[in-house]
Amino acid sequence: MNELLVTCTALTKRYGGKTALSGVSLELGRGRIVGLLGPNGSGKTTLIKILCGLLQPTEGAVLVDGQGIGPYTKSIISYLPDRMYFSDWMKATDLFDLFADFYRDFDRTKAMSMCASLGVTPSDRLKTMSKGTKEKVQLVLVMARKAQLYLLDEPIAGVDPAARDFILNTILTNYNEEGTVMISTHLISDIEQVLDEAIFLKDGQITLHDTVDNIREREGKSVDALFREIFRAHNIEGGAF
Amino acid sequence: MFGKLLKYDFRSMFKQFAFVWPAALALALVNHFTIDGIEGSSSVGETTAGIVMMIYVAILMAMFIIALIFTIQRFFKGLLGDEGYLMHTLPVKPWQLITSKLLCAVVTTMLSVIVAIVSIFLILPWDAEAFRQVFQGLDYLFSHWNEEMTRAVFCLLEVLLFMLVSLATGYLQLYLSMSIGHLFNKNRVAMSVIAFIVINALSGTLLSFLPSWDAFDPFASGLRGMDLFQRAIWIAIGTELVHSAVYFIGTEFILRKKLNLE
Repeated sequence: MNELLVTCTALTKRYGGKTALSGVSLELGRGRIVGLLGPNGSGKTTLIKILCGLLQPTEGAVLVDGQGIGPYTKSIISYLPDRMYFSDWMKATDLFDLFADFYRDFDRTKAMSMCASLGVTPSDRLKTMSKGTKEKVQLVLVMARKAQLYLLDEPIAGVDPAARDFILNTILTNYNEEGTVMISTHLISDIEQVLDEAIFLKDGQITLHDTVDNIREREGKSVDALFREIFRAHNIEGGAF
Repeated sequence: MFGKLLKYDFRSMFKQFAFVWPAALALALVNHFTIDGIEGSSSVGETTAGIVMMIYVAILMAMFIIALIFTIQRFFKGLLGDEGYLMHTLPVKPWQLITSKLLCAVVTTMLSVIVAIVSIFLILPWDAEAFRQVFQGLDYLFSHWNEEMTRAVFCLLEVLLFMLVSLATGYLQLYLSMSIGHLFNKNRVAMSVIAFIVINALSGTLLSFLPSWDAFDPFASGLRGMDLFQRAIWIAIGTELVHSAVYFIGTEFILRKKLNLE
């Protein structure tokens, strides 16, 4: 097992003429809860997609647990995208079968008990479920794994404040404590309390990466206040890149 | 892992065809009993038989159209649409994703062909005397077996192989077209169609440069009959395989290096 869980070196991603990430270098350890913070279009989703293998960087290198992105890293990463990814004919239990087949770290019993506590009936067809219920199913799939790295892309963006607490609580009570959780969001005040580290992403570059305690001590203000100060000029209405 | 991918692809295929295949067979069976009405004296029987036959033909056509749509959709939606977020983060390699989809599509089409053939036999009159004659004929054939017949069987198998390889090539061409289409941020379907047309034109142009056409010419090659036929079919199979390889490599490269999910 590699000491560093994530190593990005001079990562750049360009879409045509547009640069989404520019020279991002990043190291993440284990057992951390990391906030990937930045306004809309700052490159959060791009970075997460590169880590889980949905995008190839234009330049630079990525290692997860010491290995390049491939089947091994995918087997230890649990990814929550910012959209629904299943076909409608399936039931939640079909998805549990699929996850149990492909991911050795998927805990079916845990998934069933999470469904019970979230009020989801896993034998229902996804077609008949509301958008909110589908999101819960997806959260169950992701958090019922004992993954090394959880990549959660805007898990609380589209829901009301009460549901935010609910989702955060589900994440915090279910993640593998030896693993690292990376949560991307622009809603910092909601998650600041649970973060160990914060990464500020601005125009595709990391402008700050430190522990939350250090930030508070050094700046004399909360991460949320600092974020607002730095990104004041930006529209921080959220959404994926 | 590859076996597990196949399991899920085949499961979604059976969901899709769980109604169509039994429906085609059931309608063939109904036709078996009503078909006599077509030339019968009662006009009611004639009309019923005509309608039942039309429904059967429509179901058969629908079956192949659904098979084609299924092939396209399982790739376009399953790997290049939102479902791609799930499929491309599974711990598998892109070539395994493509191969699994391709195998499933080819088997789906073959099963549809088998269902169509079986359904035709279901419609035909079940005549004990006719069956007896067929078996007698086969018996005669086997008792007078010679080299020519062995050769004919090989030719038949070669033709079947050619059809199978062509089918796979066609599907891989669709896959490559859709992969190229998905590279664009807008009008992905239209771009896929254009890509398909361009690939067709390119492969036609390249083929016309091949010197191997002589092989099909009885005068240039000096071959006759079966020899000529067999050589031609193997050249055709080889050409299809080269196409397949190019399409597969292109698709795999795009999915591995250029994936561009919305």
